[in-house]
Amino acid sequence: MLDFIGLGLYDERSITVEGHEALSECDRAFAEFYTSKLAGATVEELEEYHDVDIEVRDRAGVEQEPEPILDAAEGGEVAFLTAGDTMISTTHVDLRLRAHERGIDTRVFHGVTAQSAASGLTGLQNYRFGKSVTLPFPYAHGGEDVPKSLVEGLEDNRERGLHTLVYLDIKTEREEYMSADVAAGMLAEGWADELAVAVARAGSPEPIVAADRLSTLAEREFGDPLHLLVVPGDLHHLEAEALKAFGGAPAELVAVE
Amino acid sequence: MGRRKKIVQECERLMDKPENIRNIAIAAHVDHGKTTLSDNLLAGAGMISDETAGQQLAMDTEEDEQERGITIDAANVSMTHEWNDKNHLINLIDTPGHVDFGGDVTRAMRAVDGALVVVDAVEGAMPQTETVLRQALREGVKPALFINKVDRLINELQEGPEEMQRRLLDVIDDVNELIRGMLEEEDYDWSVSVEDGTVAFGSALYKWGVSMPSMEETGISFGDIIEMERNDERQELHERTPLSDVVLDMVAEHFPNPLQAQPSRVPRIWRGDAESDLAHQMRDVEDEGDVVFMVTDIGMDPHAGEIATGRVFSGTIKKGQELFVSGTAGKNRVQSVGIFMGGEREELDRGVPAGNIAAVTGLRDAIAGSTVSSVEMTPFESIEHISEPVITKSVEAKSMDDLPKLIQTLQQVAKEDPTIRVEINEDTGEHLISGQGELHLEVITTRIEKNQGIPVKTGEPIVVYREAPQGASREVEGVSPNRHNKFYISVEPLSQDIVDAIQLGEISNDMPELERREALQEAGMDKDTSQNFEHLFGTNILIDDTKGIQHLNETMELVIEGMEEALNDGPLAAEPVQGALLRLHDARLHEDTIHRGPAQVIPAAREAVHRALIDSEVRLMEPIQDVRIDVPSEYMGSASGEIQGRRGRVDDMFQEGDLMVIEGIAPVEEMIGFSSDIRSATEGRASWNTENAGFRVLVDNLQREKIGEIRERKGMKQELSPAIDYI
Ligand SMILES: Nc1nc2c(ncn2[C@@H]2O[C@H](COP(=O)(O)OP(=O)(O)O)[C@@H](O)[C@H]2O)c(=O)[nH]1
Ligand SMILES: [Mg+2]
Repeated sequence: MLDFIGLGLYDERSITVEGHEALSECDRAFAEFYTSKLAGATVEELEEYHDVDIEVRDRAGVEQEPEPILDAAEGGEVAFLTAGDTMISTTHVDLRLRAHERGIDTRVFHGVTAQSAASGLTGLQNYRFGKSVTLPFPYAHGGEDVPKSLVEGLEDNRERGLHTLVYLDIKTEREEYMSADVAAGMLAEGWADELAVAVARAGSPEPIVAADRLSTLAEREFGDPLHLLVVPGDLHHLEAEALKAFGGAPAELVAVE
Repeated sequence: MGRRKKIVQECERLMDKPENIRNIAIAAHVDHGKTTLSDNLLAGAGMISDETAGQQLAMDTEEDEQERGITIDAANVSMTHEWNDKNHLINLIDTPGHVDFGGDVTRAMRAVDGALVVVDAVEGAMPQTETVLRQALREGVKPALFINKVDRLINELQEGPEEMQRRLLDVIDDVNELIRGMLEEEDYDWSVSVEDGTVAFGSALYKWGVSMPSMEETGISFGDIIEMERNDERQELHERTPLSDVVLDMVAEHFPNPLQAQPSRVPRIWRGDAESDLAHQMRDVEDEGDVVFMVTDIGMDPHAGEIATGRVFSGTIKKGQELFVSGTAGKNRVQSVGIFMGGEREELDRGVPAGNIAAVTGLRDAIAGSTVSSVEMTPFESIEHISEPVITKSVEAKSMDDLPKLIQTLQQVAKEDPTIRVEINEDTGEHLISGQGELHLEVITTRIEKNQGIPVKTGEPIVVYREAPQGASREVEGVSPNRHNKFYISVEPLSQDIVDAIQLGEISNDMPELERREALQEAGMDKDTSQNFEHLFGTNILIDDTKGIQHLNETMELVIEGMEEALNDGPLAAEPVQGALLRLHDARLHEDTIHRGPAQVIPAAREAVHRALIDSEVRLMEPIQDVRIDVPSEYMGSASGEIQGRRGRVDDMFQEGDLMVIEGIAPVEEMIGFSSDIRSATEGRASWNTENAGFRVLVDNLQREKIGEIRERKGMKQELSPAIDYI
């Protein structure tokens, strides 16, 4: 049995009760933190809290050599952990398919993911989000600035009046996490005066939500990771209210006709 | 005022009169007497004393050259010579004779307008005579012929006047046949003849020479020469008809001056706008125009540092100028400008004007082949390198302390000689240098040890192999590690015509698209394929046959990176792949950039290329050499045995004079150590020559063994992909 368990947004306590119970009962637990990580808990803290040993695997250890995980799951209860939800932005459906091909049963324990926070903390309605995009570090995609596909995705959404969730690149092995001000600075090249919302440390006791012009956000600091950015499309009047109330948006930026 | 000082002053005066300048190179098969002739010319010009000419080898400036008695670097010298009552400035470049140094020869040709081809009267035209002639003619450099060692015909071979004349005419005919063959497509005829005065004869060793004009002037006939040689009146012969006068007269009379040469040479080596001011300035040798300086050689001076030698095509290059260097951003400041006098530089604060050869310091970013100019301009055509490196040696500093200095020296070596390739490995300290042959590498390592004083350990020479597709593959799939991205690629061999065009620089990544398309079609590529050209790497081409795939544009860089990795390290033994035409047929990409980043796309593309290559039955290719041995007939058997015993093939054996000539080919790998083996097999009576002749498929029954050896050396695992079941 292979259980895909989402650890949620922030620390060892962001997991669901169901996920926690499944994790505590498993024979072995594997985790990957290259697609995302918990900013508020170390692996040791996780192990202690859930009373399990966690074997952290790198990208190659999941994508190229998943056999140890699958072998273990063939003979026992195995948990596979990621931050957030194992299936949303982390895209581990491949591993689940491989397990399925080998006749291994799988279960999915949902976790709270950045997408929930993007709606939950900002008040922007999930119905009105378009396609999400990821803003990579310039060195990581080989280009110099913002990839064209991201620009296209963003513009497509805006044309249709939809919000865009912008995931920010993380390179856990290098301990580099793109911050919302840096991301806002990169996007400000094209859309300096556009409204955006920075969200920092979603899921922690003190998350930050800040709505302002991209060029203004680029000048601010939002503290420890992880961060994300939302570029709103057309605003519903309640969305506008929420951005003013919870994100300190300047009134003129969120005026609804 | 010293003699030297006077000459410098005279050179300075003449520099400003292009009609009195001749820029020349001396080129010849090894040992035919280039260096000895150069010394004669220098002595004639009063640059070295008469007595030492012939022994001093003033042009062999590197210590190892003087020891080995071969000329390695194209060294440079300026001298003056009076002809037709007018003094002339002769800028001379000595070129290496051994074919291992072919790159140097071509570069030297770029700077000159005339090539004095030296041929040994006894040996006649040899393979490298042909090579250097081809290099000269391809660059538009006019040839003249000097037949050397005529004293040997008289004394060793005891030939009479008629026999001698017949032999000399044979040499001339052979050379002319070569010249005509090479100029078939041109509308001018540069064949040489005694009557025109474009041929001279003589003895560089005994310092006498004759030509038709000189014989008319001095009244000395062949009969006189034979008599005086036999009677040991060589000194008198030298005094009555000195070699340097005869040859320099020929140079002054028959080689074009820069005013005559540059109008035809500039379009040949420069593709910029022919109507621009710059084009006019270069054609007109305009010393007050924009500065254009073409670097043909980078040398090292222990005091001054790097010295860039080259030809000034326009303007006057001067100390303090800020000049652009092609291929680099920003400018370099000229620290000093001068000319060469023997092995020494003579700095000239007044600068060196158009039409001359200059020695320049301060051009940090220049490499051999750079275009240096005061305005931004289209650079000169890159200089063709005829052969790629075929042999590699590891070099390691004996003492850790020398490590930084060794790295610096190796980088320097690569800069000076573009036919050398250097791979620095800072982790292991075991650096690799690759070059044209065993001797080439030996010379480089000796130079590092002696000139730089860095004791080094070198490894066994290792032959460079290639991997090449042998047929067309099916369309294969490469999957990214996260399995969200897929690439569909096939491979087929590129035609030889296209490979040739690539090697001649007719196709490149940075040329205008339309021009490239035309060049590809001209080389035989079909129209649709040429329109989908995406990238050139080595002699491999990537074609993008996909249509309208979203996000592929921004992923292409990564596909190319993966492809380059796959081609650098082929699937058999991680040797470079050559001659592959890759087609990208289709791609499936993840929606989000992060999931189609480098960690995903590069391995997927790499895998697809390797699998396609394997499906095309990729095989190991080994470098081969043309071998020619000249040997007395009694050693013919043992000499041809030396070729056959090396997996070689003898193609031809024929008599030439009193010697037998054996021609054939053999793998470079087997040729390691040939030099000492042939010497002992023939008791030192053989003279031989090799020339790189490209790569050929290694026979099937050696493929696995050789692949295994290379993999072992590289620390790779022995098992090959199970799909490699065809060898
Ligand atoms: N007999 C004779 N020997 C010569 C003559 N010119 C050069 N040599 C000898 O041929 C050898 C090669 O000469 P060198 O100038 O080094 O040839 P390079 O390799 O073309 O530079 C030397 O041993 C010279 O002394 C000549 O005119 N007559
Ligand atoms: Mg020499």
